[in-house]
Amino acid sequence: MKLKEKLTILADAAKYDASCSSSGSTRKNENGIGNASYSGICHSFASDGRCISLLKILLTNCCIFDCKYCLNRKSNNIKRAIFTPEEICTITMNFYRRNYIEGLFLSSGIIKSPDYTMELIIKTISLLRNKYHFNGYIHAKAIPGSSDYLVKKLGKLVDRMSANIELPTESSLKLLAPDKKETNVTTIMKTIKENRNTKFTPAGSSTQMIIGATNESDLDIMSKSSYMYSNYNLKRVFYSAYIPLNNDKLLPTLKTPPLTREHRLYEADWLLRYYNFKVEDILSIDNPNFNLLIDPKSDYALRHLNEFPKEINTASYYDLLKVPGIGITSAKRIIKSRKYFKITFKDLKNMGIVLKRASYFITCNGKYFINKSLFNKEFIENNLVLETHQINKPSITQLSLFNE
Amino acid sequence: MNKMYIYDGTFLNLLSLITFLIKNNIKPTNIVNSNYEPTLLDEIININIVNNPKIINNIKNIWGLEIYKIMLYVYFSEDSYKELIIYYLYLNCLKYKRNTLNMRNLKCVSKSLKIAKYVSNEAHKLKGFVRFKELESKVLYAEISPTNNCLLILSEHFKKRLSHEYWLIKDVKRNMISIYDKKNYYIIPASNLKLNIELNKNELEFADLWCTFYNTIGIKERYNAKLRLNFMPKKYWRYILEMSDENEKSNK
Repeated sequence: MKLKEKLTILADAAKYDASCSSSGSTRKNENGIGNASYSGICHSFASDGRCISLLKILLTNCCIFDCKYCLNRKSNNIKRAIFTPEEICTITMNFYRRNYIEGLFLSSGIIKSPDYTMELIIKTISLLRNKYHFNGYIHAKAIPGSSDYLVKKLGKLVDRMSANIELPTESSLKLLAPDKKETNVTTIMKTIKENRNTKFTPAGSSTQMIIGATNESDLDIMSKSSYMYSNYNLKRVFYSAYIPLNNDKLLPTLKTPPLTREHRLYEADWLLRYYNFKVEDILSIDNPNFNLLIDPKSDYALRHLNEFPKEINTASYYDLLKVPGIGITSAKRIIKSRKYFKITFKDLKNMGIVLKRASYFITCNGKYFINKSLFNKEFIENNLVLETHQINKPSITQLSLFNE
Repeated sequence: MNKMYIYDGTFLNLLSLITFLIKNNIKPTNIVNSNYEPTLLDEIININIVNNPKIINNIKNIWGLEIYKIMLYVYFSEDSYKELIIYYLYLNCLKYKRNTLNMRNLKCVSKSLKIAKYVSNEAHKLKGFVRFKELESKVLYAEISPTNNCLLILSEHFKKRLSHEYWLIKDVKRNMISIYDKKNYYIIPASNLKLNIELNKNELEFADLWCTFYNTIGIKERYNAKLRLNFMPKKYWRYILEMSDENEKSNK
C-alpha cells in the first residue's frame, strides 16, 4: 500500500478525536529539531473550522474491540492499514520542518493486545525522540488495559498522554462499548497524575466524551467532568458531538450532530475550570440541561438577578468573573486599573469587556447604564437572546491559543 | 503648518528622535519616516538625529521589558500615527514609570496596547501559517505577506525551533528577507539577495501528502466555512500551501 493511501485511511480514522491542542509544554530544542510553544500554535484550520495543530493519525485502524459507535470496530468491513514506525517518523519530520504541524498526535486501534499496541506506539515515539532528535510536541493515547510499566515508559517520551472515557456512565459504556472498562481508563489517569512532572507528560492529560449517543443529561456529563477534573487533575475534557457512523439498533438516529449542545458544554467547562463555578451553580435536578438559546453564564446571571448589578470599581475578582461579558483577562485588568483611576463606562471599552452582554449586569460609580427600571429579567433575557442570534456566533469548540 | 519630524525608519532612530523632542519640549504634529510624501500644509523638519544605543537598555531597565515590547510592537504596525503614539506613550512613561500600562484611561496607553495586541496576534498566527518549501540546495524557503511587520518575531521563533536548518523567510509586501545561517538571522532588503528558488525533487511528494491529510481531517457533518474563515482569514490563503488552490479558484 502506498504511503498516501495509508495516510488517508489512518487520518480519516483519527479525525473524530477532538483533542488537537499543543499547549502546556515548555520542551526545549536540545541539539535537534523543534520545541514546544507554551501557548500552543494552530497551523491550519480544517473545513469544519477546527484547529489543526498536530499530525493526528492512528498507528493502525485494526481493532479487536467492537464499540458500537466506532468506525474502526472489528465487525465493520472497511479497509485496514498499519503504519510502520519509520513511516510515521518520515511524515512527522518532513511535515514539521516545513512548519505544517506543531507535532504528532498518535492514537491507535488495538491490534493483537493492549500491550502489543502500546509497545508499537512506544517504539515509534522513541525513534522520533532518540534517532531523529525530535523535540516538538507529542500527544499519545495510552491504550486502556495495557500494563502500568508501559504507561510509565510512554509518559517519559511525550508531552501529553490521554485516554478517552468515551461515555459519561458505566452503564452506557457497557451498552455501547462492551469490551471497554472505565477502570482501565481511570487507572491510566491515576498513573499520569501520580507521575506528572517536567519530564513526564508535562502538558498533562485529557479525555473525551461522546455527546448525544446515549441519553445522559448535561448534568450527568458535567458532574462526570467535574469529578474527573478534581480526582485526576485533567487539563481538559473534550466533548464530541455524536456523529452516526454505524447502523446499530442501540444507537440513536440523528440528522445533524448536536453542535449547539456541545458548544454549551464547552462554555460550562470553562466556567468550572477558570471561573470558580460549581456544577450545582449552573445545573440542577430540576434544570438538568443547558438552555440552548443562551450561554450558561448569562443563564446563571438571569436566574440570580438579585446578585446583580455588580459595581465595577469595588466588586471582588470572583464577583467580576460572574458577569457575562467579563472574562479572566478583563477582570484582572479591572482590578489592576482601578487602583489608579475610577473606571467609567467609556474606559470599559478599552479593557476588552463585551459591553453588549456586560452592560446589563454592572454599574460604574453607582450608575447603571440605562434606565434602572429596565433592570428586570424579561427585558435583559430578550435582549441577550437577540444579541446571540444576531451575531450568529460560530461554535468555538477548540481554541488552542488559550493557556490551559 | 503641520510640524512633521523625520526619522530614518529604524526603531532606534525613532526613540532617539523622541527623546530629543521631549528634552527640547517640542510637540510634533506627527513623526514620519523619510519616505513620507508631504502635503502643502506640512512643514518637514529633519534634524538628522544621532542614534543613542543606550536608550533601549534604559527603557528595559527603568520601565520594564513589557513597555519596551509594547513600543516595539507598535513600531511594527502599519498604523499611520504609530510614531506619534509611541511619542505620547514615552512621554507618559516619564510620569507614570512602571505603572504606565495600567493607565488605560489614557488614549496613548489603550491605543498602544490595542495595536501591540493586533501585531502580536498576527505574528502568533503566522508562526502557524508559515509554510516552508525545501529548495534544491536543502534550504527551507517561505514567503509571507502579513498586514504588520512580523519578520523579527518570526525569525526569533524559527531560530529556536529550526536551529539546525538553513532557512529564509521573505516578506513579499515589504520586500525584506530574513536569512538564517544556523547561528544568527539577518534581516535585509530582498533585492540584495539573488535567489534560486528551484524546488527539491522530494518537495512535491510531501506537499501532496500534506494536502491529502488536510482534505481528510475535516469532518463533513460539521462543515463550517465561516468558522474556518474567522480563524484563518482569506488574506493569508495565498501563502498557505493547503489553501492556495482554493484561493485561486475563488479569485477567478
